[in-house]
Parts: sequence; structure tokens; C-alpha cells
Amino acid sequence: MDVMGSIVYPIAGLLGLYGFVSLASLLWEGIDRKLVARMQRRVGPPLIQPFYDFLKLMSKETIVPNTANYMFRAAPVLALATAIALLAYTPMGFTPILASKGDVIVFIYLLALISFFKIVGAISSGSPYAKIGAAREATIMVSREPAMMLAIFAIMWRLGKLGVDKPFSMGIFYQHNIWEIGTPMSFVGAIILLYVFCVWLASEIEVGFFNIPDAEEEIAEGLLVEYSGRYLALLKLTKALKAYIAASLVVAIFFPWGIAGHLTGLSADVVNLLFHTLKVFILLFVVGSVFRAVTGRLKITQAVDFLWKNVFLASLVGSLLLAMEVIM
Amino acid sequence: MNGHEILPYLIIIPLFGAFSMPIVNLLGRKAREAWAVIITGATLAVGSALFYSVWENGILVYTLGAKSPLGQANFPIRIVWEVDLFGAIMVLMVTLVGFLAVVYSLGYMKHDTGLDKYYTLIIILELGMLGIAITGDLFNFYVFLEIMSIASYALVAFRNDTWEGIEAGIKYMFVGSIASSFILLGIALLYGQYGTLTMSYLAVKLAQNPTVTAKVALALFIAGLLFKSGASPVHMWLADAHPAAPSSISAMLSGLVIKIGGIYALTRILFSIYGHSVSMKTVGWVIIIFACITLIVGNAMAVIQNDMKRLLAYSSVGQIGYILLGLGIGLAAYGSQTGEIAMAGAIYHTFNHALMKALLSLIAGVVIHQLGTRDLNELSGLAKTMPKTTFAFLIGAAAIIGMPPLNGFASKWLIYESSAIFNPILGAIAIIGTAFCTAAYVKVLYTFFGRPNERVMKARDPEGSMLWPIIILAVAIVVMGLFPWQISDKVMIPAVKALENQLAYISAVLGGA
Repeated sequence: MDVMGSIVYPIAGLLGLYGFVSLASLLWEGIDRKLVARMQRRVGPPLIQPFYDFLKLMSKETIVPNTANYMFRAAPVLALATAIALLAYTPMGFTPILASKGDVIVFIYLLALISFFKIVGAISSGSPYAKIGAAREATIMVSREPAMMLAIFAIMWRLGKLGVDKPFSMGIFYQHNIWEIGTPMSFVGAIILLYVFCVWLASEIEVGFFNIPDAEEEIAEGLLVEYSGRYLALLKLTKALKAYIAASLVVAIFFPWGIAGHLTGLSADVVNLLFHTLKVFILLFVVGSVFRAVTGRLKITQAVDFLWKNVFLASLVGSLLLAMEVIM
Repeated sequence: MNGHEILPYLIIIPLFGAFSMPIVNLLGRKAREAWAVIITGATLAVGSALFYSVWENGILVYTLGAKSPLGQANFPIRIVWEVDLFGAIMVLMVTLVGFLAVVYSLGYMKHDTGLDKYYTLIIILELGMLGIAITGDLFNFYVFLEIMSIASYALVAFRNDTWEGIEAGIKYMFVGSIASSFILLGIALLYGQYGTLTMSYLAVKLAQNPTVTAKVALALFIAGLLFKSGASPVHMWLADAHPAAPSSISAMLSGLVIKIGGIYALTRILFSIYGHSVSMKTVGWVIIIFACITLIVGNAMAVIQNDMKRLLAYSSVGQIGYILLGLGIGLAAYGSQTGEIAMAGAIYHTFNHALMKALLSLIAGVVIHQLGTRDLNELSGLAKTMPKTTFAFLIGAAAIIGMPPLNGFASKWLIYESSAIFNPILGAIAIIGTAFCTAAYVKVLYTFFGRPNERVMKARDPEGSMLWPIIILAVAIVVMGLFPWQISDKVMIPAVKALENQLAYISAVLGGA
């Protein structure tokens, strides 16, 4: 077996990506806070405020409630570990490190697993506020994922029809993209699916309408109410990584173009990664910052209604439009 | 090692152990327990050696009483035992879970009386299941089926000072006896028509002259064996037997009995005896219909249970649905790639589910033993005081739902994939079943990791003899989960190939004749 090619390089690549994405996603949080502050005519914190926050939380005393069990301490670590593992399957301007046939399921699974660990950690604290937050998180999760799953499977199936070597792999977006199909029907379908993915992204990173599980006014920070110190820092970092990863998926599906041009090898990957990060920031600005600044949250029942009756329906229509030429 | 020499010991050792138990019992409690562990441990060693031998050398035939089953005639006149790879997998599964259940009983059954009878019965239960897995004779099969069934009736009703033990035992015994008599009637019909009881020779006779009698007999077999496997709509005994039985017994009931006495026997009869003599497609669809009902009913009923062991019992029914679905598709798409994958998934899931459900049942036993309640509403926050047990439960629950780094994923995946290729509606039904199953287990996890209530604060992790079987099963689940496709390619697919190769099964016994 080729040890260098199959073990050492992927691990080095994963570590490198982890370092880069941690910095980039925390930096984005700083930018986001600054931009939202400006929209509200405030000065806002400095750009690297999230780094200060992270370091401060890391250095604070960590308090574990005496009703908590071992999962309270394990869940933040497991959530972060899952997010790091997910980086190996995330398209970031180039084919993911561990891309293989069918890895889209691994991607969806790991993304859901992060939320699951957060829920388990929250329940394990023994606090009733956290339990309410966890129940809300689970409800939102069950409502938002089907729309995304339907859409992504439809898109991957449709792109697979154009001829790819690894069907249902996250690398597929850099071989063909959704706009290439070119017929008016698929174009309309793609626009509708873009809407679906934007709402999904907003609910995944819990901004605007969907800032429900941690609703600080009603249930005192919900999920995270009992977390402090190091564990809170890990969870905040996980949240930032998850926002970057979820936005990466949307960017890879709808805006996969690179600017590397004639470059090859590592330099092309680095250029593509930087350009991809720029696209992620722009998308997060539209879906995250603006959406957060201009709307408040919905009630949990309204959010569930919205996700099923509006977003899932749109996903169904978009997928059908996209699939139309092939099935007819 | 030569498989012929060790095969008889698979029956001799437990038989000797069970019959000597009343005498060993005179030496006292310690001797009795040590004897039970030694006997089942030795059976496990023989079972593993047998599995290895069959995996290396293919089908193993053993004739009782002579070198050849044929004697002077040109047809088999003696009882034969015939073990192919599928049978060997079952042998390994039974001996492994049986051994762990006995070790677990040392701590778990401490407070009960009449334990000499308990250990005798549990060894006899194992003996009956092993006999079913290795036999190549139809009446011999019935005898072992009855040994297994009667031992399990007695064990379900073992705690005869509780009203629910007696109730569940009576229910199980009445309907179980009717199911057994169906099978006996089927055997009688076949014997009257064809004049032989050897499975392989019967297969030849059937192919030469398929009659209506044979089809009636098949209907009786399917009816009887679906009952034994706990398929809907005849699953009701299982839901009562589980909560009433001691937990080591419910681990064996839902891990082993419903699979050996139901799934294995059904598969053996359909593939090796009836083979091409009946329309595989029709039989396959009959099984598929029961599988779909079982899947939905079992998993959906699991969601609404508040009794922990009843929840596990309904979940067993649901998982039997998956296995039956794989078996049904394996029959309906016989000979195609899809059918092969489905059947491999069914066999793989049989083994995996034996491990997972044994684990979960043993954990339920620990909880009952420590807290004296099965009511999920009273078990909130168990993770605080029983961390090891709840962690093992987390692994078992994740595996049974089918989460990737655990063994349930690969086996369920094979079933999903083949059912989606065979008929997308069946794939959708399988997914709906899993959604219910997930809801049921998440509910339990939600309880276990919640805020500890007062009752739970006094609980502790159990002693070593109860904890180690749980740890071994959890480790086995994780390790098997790391090499899913290797196991599937090296063991499960060859097992399906051996099962589908009816000619090899027949000629192994009839040989040169």
C-alpha cells in the first residue's frame, strides 16, 4: 500500500484545512459582527474579537453541574471531532480529500451528527432549559434536513447523468455543475433549489427566523445554558466550523467555478481555496448577516410549518423541474 | 482440524453438560456455575473451530452410525448432519451469545431459586438451536425445534412466582405448540408423499415430482416458522415473553431463538429443499408481504412503549422484518445480483442483530437488576450513576439504528440497496421502518441522559460477571463495524453462494449415488 499517498498526505491535508478553516471561520464571525453593527449604526467589535473570545473562554474556569453525566463533557469534544472529520468530505474549491463513491451520505450524516452531539450534551446537563432547547433543535433538525436531502440527491443524480467517474460523490460538482444543463426548465429548477439551500443554510446556522434553539430571551441560551469555559469555547468553534462547512456545500453546488486557470497542483488548490473562502463569505453575508439583521425569530411551530409547507415543497418542485428532461 | 471429528461434540458437550447438571449440582452452587460456564465455553470453542473448518473446506456432512448415509441402498437411510457456511455462521452465533448469556446469568440470577434447573434448561436451549443449525434431516430438525421450543417455554415461565411469567409462558406455549404441530403435519405430508426425511434426498424427489401435497406442506412450514420467528401478525407472544423472561433468556430469545427456529429454518427449507421445485417468485412475494407488515408494525409499536423490555421486544419484531425482507427479495430475485446482495444482507443482519439485541437485552437486565423497574419514565438520568452501562446502550442503539462506524450499517445497507433496486416502494418501507426505530431508541437515550431522579441516584454499575458480557458484545459490535465490507465479501457472500447452490448441498450427501 502506498503509505504516503493514502495515509500521510490526507492527514497532512486535513490538518492544514482544519487550521485554515478554524482561522477563516472565526474571522468571518468577526466580520459578521462588524457588518451587522454597521447596519445598525454602531461601531462594533474589532475584527478579531472572536479570537479574543475563544482564548478568554479557554482560560476561564469550567463549571460542571452536579446533575450532569459523562456525556456533558464528552459531547463538545465529539461535536468538534465530527466537524473536523467532516472537513475531509467538504468540497472547498477542489475535490474533497476523502472523496469516494457515495460519500454524500457521509457528509449529510456527519453534519447531522454534530447537531445530535449538541443535543445529547444539552440533555446530559440536566437543566430543563437546555432540555427545551434540545427539543427545539431536534424539531428543527428533523424539519430542515428532508428538503436539503431531496434537493442534493436530485442534483447529484442529475449531474451523474452527464457522466462522472464517481457518482454521488462530493467531488462531482467540480466536474459538472447545475447551470451546465442549460435548458430553461432546469434553470428555473436550479433557481428554486438555490432558494431552498439558502433557507436551509440559514436554519443550519440558526440565524434570523431560525434562531430558535438558543433563544436567549425565552429559555436563557437554550442548548448551551449550562456550558462554560473550555466546553463552551469548543462548541463555539464547532458552530463556526459548521457554518463554514454548510456554506461550502451551497457554494460548491451553485458557484463551483475556480480561478486557478493555468495553475496546477498545490498552488492551484491554494488559490481555489482562497477564492472559495471569498465566495463562502459573500454567501454568509447574504444569508447570515443580512438575514440576521433584518428579521427576528419565528415561533417553533411557525418555523416547522415554514420548513415543511414552503421549503420542502419548493425543494420538491425544484427537483422535479431539474429531473424533468431525464424522466420524460 | 478435521471438521468431521469435531462436529459431534457440538451436540455431545451440551447434552452431557445438561444431563450431568443435576449431579454436579449436589456439589453446591459454585460447582454448578463453573460447570455451566465450562460447558458453554467448550461449546463455543467447538463452534468456532467448526465455523473455521466449514469456512475453509466447504460443506460438512456427518452420518450418524456409519461412514456413509447410504448403507446398502442407493438412497440415504441414516440421519445426516449437514453444515454449510450459513449453518456454520448460525452455530458460531449461538455458541457465542449462549456463552455470554450464561456468564451473565451468574450475577443476574443470583437471587432466584431452582438454578440447577435454570442452567440445565439454558444448556438444552442452546443444544436445540445447535441441532437445528447442523441437521440435514427433516424429522431430526423437528425434534431439535421442539427441544428448543419446550426449553424456551419453561425459561419464559421460569419465575413462576410472578403472574406475568406464568401468563406469558402459557400464551407462548399454547400458540407455539400449534405452530410446531403445523410443522409436524407438513413433515408428515412430505413423508407420506415422498417416503424420505433426508433434506437433500427429499429435494431430489421434489424436483422429480412436484405435487400439490408438497405445496400444502410448504404452506404449513411457512406458517409455522413465521410464527416462531415472530413475524407480524403472529408476533404477540414475543412482546409478552420478553418482559416476563429473565433478561439472559430474553437475550437468547430475541437474539437467537427467533432466528434459528424461524429465519434459519425457513431459509434452509426454502432454498435447500424446495429450491427450484416451486415458484421462487411467488414464495418470495409472500415473504415480502409479511416482511413489510412486520417492519412497520414492529418498529411503530416500539415507539409507543414505556416498558423498556417491551420496547426491545417490538424492536426485535421490526428487525426480523428487515431480515425477512432480505430473504424475500433473495427468493423473488433468485439468481440475480440483487437477490444475492439481499440474501447476504439478511444473513449479515441476522448475525449483527443477535449481537446488538443480546447487548441491549443484557443491559435492560442490568437496569432491572439494579433499579427494580422497567418503566422508562422512572429511569431518567441513568447515565449519571451507571456510565458504563449507558455507554454500552448508546453503542447498541446506534448499531441497531444503523449508524456508520458500527456493524448494523453495512447489513442494513445491503438490504436497503437491494430493496431499492428490486422495488423502490420496498426500499421506502424499509426507510420508514428505520425512522420509527430511530425515534424509539432516541426516546430511550433521551430518558437515560436526562436529569437524574431520586430512584436512579442509588444505582451503580453492575458487578464483573454482568458487565463483561456487555463489554465483549459492545467491542464485537465496534470491531465488526470497522471491517464491514471485508466480512461481507469473505463470509456473507460465500454463505449465500453456498445456499443458492442447491446441487452442491444435495450431492454432498448423495455423493456418488
